[in-house]
Amino acid sequence: MRYEFRFPDIGEGIREGTLVKWLVNVGDLVKEGQSLAEVETDKVTTEIPSPKNGKIVELKYKEGDTIEVDEVFVVIETEGENKEAESKEDVEVEKQVVREESAGVVGEVIASSEVIPASNELIEPTTKTTKKKKVLATPVARQLAKDLGIDITTIEGTGPNGRVMKEDILRAKEQLSKPVVQPKFEVEPVQQVEKVEKAEKLAIEYQSENIKRIPLTRIRKTIADQMVKSRFTIPHTTAMDEIDVTKLVEFRNRYKDGLKEDGINITYLPFIIKAVIKALKEYPVFNSTFDEENEEIILKHFYHIGIATDTDRGLMVPVIRDADKKSIIELAKEIEDITTRAKENKIELSELKGSTFTITNYGSIGGYFGIPIINYPESAILGVGKIVKKPIVRDDEIVIAYVLPLSLSYDHRIIDGASGARFLNVLKELLTNPDMLLLKS
Amino acid sequence: MANVLNIVQAINQALEIEMENDPTVVVYGEDVGLEGGVFRVTAGLQKKFGKDRVFDTPLAESAIVGTAVGMAINGLKPVVELQFMGFSYPAFNQIISHVARMRNRSRGRYNLPMVIRAPYGGGIRALEHHSESTEAIYAHIPGIKVVIPSTPYDAKGLLIAAIRDPDPVLFLEPKRIYRAFKQEVPEEAYELPIGKAKIVEEGEDVTIITWGAMVRDVQKASEMVKEKGIYPEIIDLRTISPMDRETFVESVKKTGRAIVVHEAPKSFGAGAEIIAVINEKAFLYLEAPPTRITGFDTTFPLPRGEKHYIPSPERIAKTIEDVVKF
Repeated sequence: MRYEFRFPDIGEGIREGTLVKWLVNVGDLVKEGQSLAEVETDKVTTEIPSPKNGKIVELKYKEGDTIEVDEVFVVIETEGENKEAESKEDVEVEKQVVREESAGVVGEVIASSEVIPASNELIEPTTKTTKKKKVLATPVARQLAKDLGIDITTIEGTGPNGRVMKEDILRAKEQLSKPVVQPKFEVEPVQQVEKVEKAEKLAIEYQSENIKRIPLTRIRKTIADQMVKSRFTIPHTTAMDEIDVTKLVEFRNRYKDGLKEDGINITYLPFIIKAVIKALKEYPVFNSTFDEENEEIILKHFYHIGIATDTDRGLMVPVIRDADKKSIIELAKEIEDITTRAKENKIELSELKGSTFTITNYGSIGGYFGIPIINYPESAILGVGKIVKKPIVRDDEIVIAYVLPLSLSYDHRIIDGASGARFLNVLKELLTNPDMLLLKS
Repeated sequence: MANVLNIVQAINQALEIEMENDPTVVVYGEDVGLEGGVFRVTAGLQKKFGKDRVFDTPLAESAIVGTAVGMAINGLKPVVELQFMGFSYPAFNQIISHVARMRNRSRGRYNLPMVIRAPYGGGIRALEHHSESTEAIYAHIPGIKVVIPSTPYDAKGLLIAAIRDPDPVLFLEPKRIYRAFKQEVPEEAYELPIGKAKIVEEGEDVTIITWGAMVRDVQKASEMVKEKGIYPEIIDLRTISPMDRETFVESVKKTGRAIVVHEAPKSFGAGAEIIAVINEKAFLYLEAPPTRITGFDTTFPLPRGEKHYIPSPERIAKTIEDVVKF
């Protein structure tokens, strides 16, 4: 197809131009946008781009000629004589991004056939949740945290709307560099100074990029305080024993499935509680508190048994009140109830207070012996390990038996070693022979 | 075939549609009639609507704007063209003393439904006065709206909204991208709200606020930094005044970092106002100083220097990295 290219209207009142120079020759193949000629108008010299792809057939003017707007200027044979080929070519041209210098009189406006994506104006943007935690803080507070090497996102703000204040950052820094625990009770001054020094040394020894510092949660702080108070106040001693509970295992196996149908999950713990109560009644000092101030031992005639429970937030001790007045099945139900609620954080504060003796069952996680720390201000704690099959000597014969390991920690200020052994003996007698346990309790 | 247009064609279509729909719309300015404007934005309009509605004026910007005030008071909707933004200063007194104040001065009796169109910005290797970006001057004046589109779709929808607006609108057209790309545009009339920014790209590491021809360059810079794992949120302000504060303040609260990119000189520009708003409204969320990437505090250079003046995608990308690493 022959295409007659007329000298274009290039704007601002230009009616004619002088052909300065041809940039193509007859017979040349040209692309859309390719410059064909340099033309001088009374305002500017500009290059005239080809409007088509094709072959130059005729150049109508000579260099130096004046061309009027709308005069045929160049004749181009466009590619593809038959229509099919031509449309194909057109499609290709459409796809191609053609950059061209447009023929404007003022400056050069870039012209391109590039097509940008359609507007998404009416499409509601999908709101993405941001993965970063945002903290409210003034720049000076952010700088302070940076200088102290504290990640500001880990600090709980106490300012308006939870803003992290400079004081919060300084407090966090203080917590990190001070001893983990500030004992509330009196300790030997020398001891405290030593500890402070040690803790501060610790803070200096590590480079901040190699470690991560986690501020204590309130509950962890309470646990830490309690442990230190107990360990540094009460001289602990621990007695351990292994008890043949083969009969108890058999006994439980006999009733376990039946009880399960009634929705009762019977463990060994209710039996152990029953045995403990019998032992506490026989040796009341294990159910007492040492009143240091008045130099008295307070014996309690009530039996509230604490059950140490592992929760996501840390150790908690829900309490079974008046355990001595409850049946094994009642105990089983209550243990399940309070420990579940403790784990789900649905327990009342009052249910975590007032125990007189505590049992810690690390056996449920697989532990065997342990040295439990007394739940201050109680005087003893029983650690229960995992029941395992073991070879033991029974009537001068080696047999395989179910063995329950027990660890009893007690306050050595008010309980002598012999009493500890006697207490364990009571447990041993009752747990070895469940019939006796039931008869006696 | 789909209606795929560049910005010039989209604006031309908007003018044509509004002239068809509303006989009170008139278009005039230097060379807009017979020639169809220096950039051919008004091409074909005089032929279609006649010399009474589309006509050429003398080289007298003050008269162009001043007569528009009179026409608007008397029931017409003039859409006048100032050939370049750099030629708007002879009309400055009309704009600041009359256009912006008529509604207030007449205690609401007269409003001015008029549009002043002007190509703005540099990057076309032009002469002096042809590359201005003085949007901040006009945005500072209460009573006049300042709108800047960045795509053919936005140009058409915003211009139609500007023509239908009961109050004066300064409509600035980024001439550098007049013909730089095309976009599918609905054939019929549609309005885009004036005073509403658009989140062009969602991201969460840094908010970039920009407008006009710089939007495309910011998008190019964004592609560069994405390779380094930085995801900017790009906001096309679209209207300089009244400014859509809410959109960029919320974005900065999300990202904690803000960059303004504009072609105009740095000092006293629109970027300063945006950053002041961010400091007032999102101060507690900031993790880096709000930063400007702009032209320089000099007269816009002649062709040889203009590439150094307009923020390049490379310069923008570098600053994005600096702000994110701050």
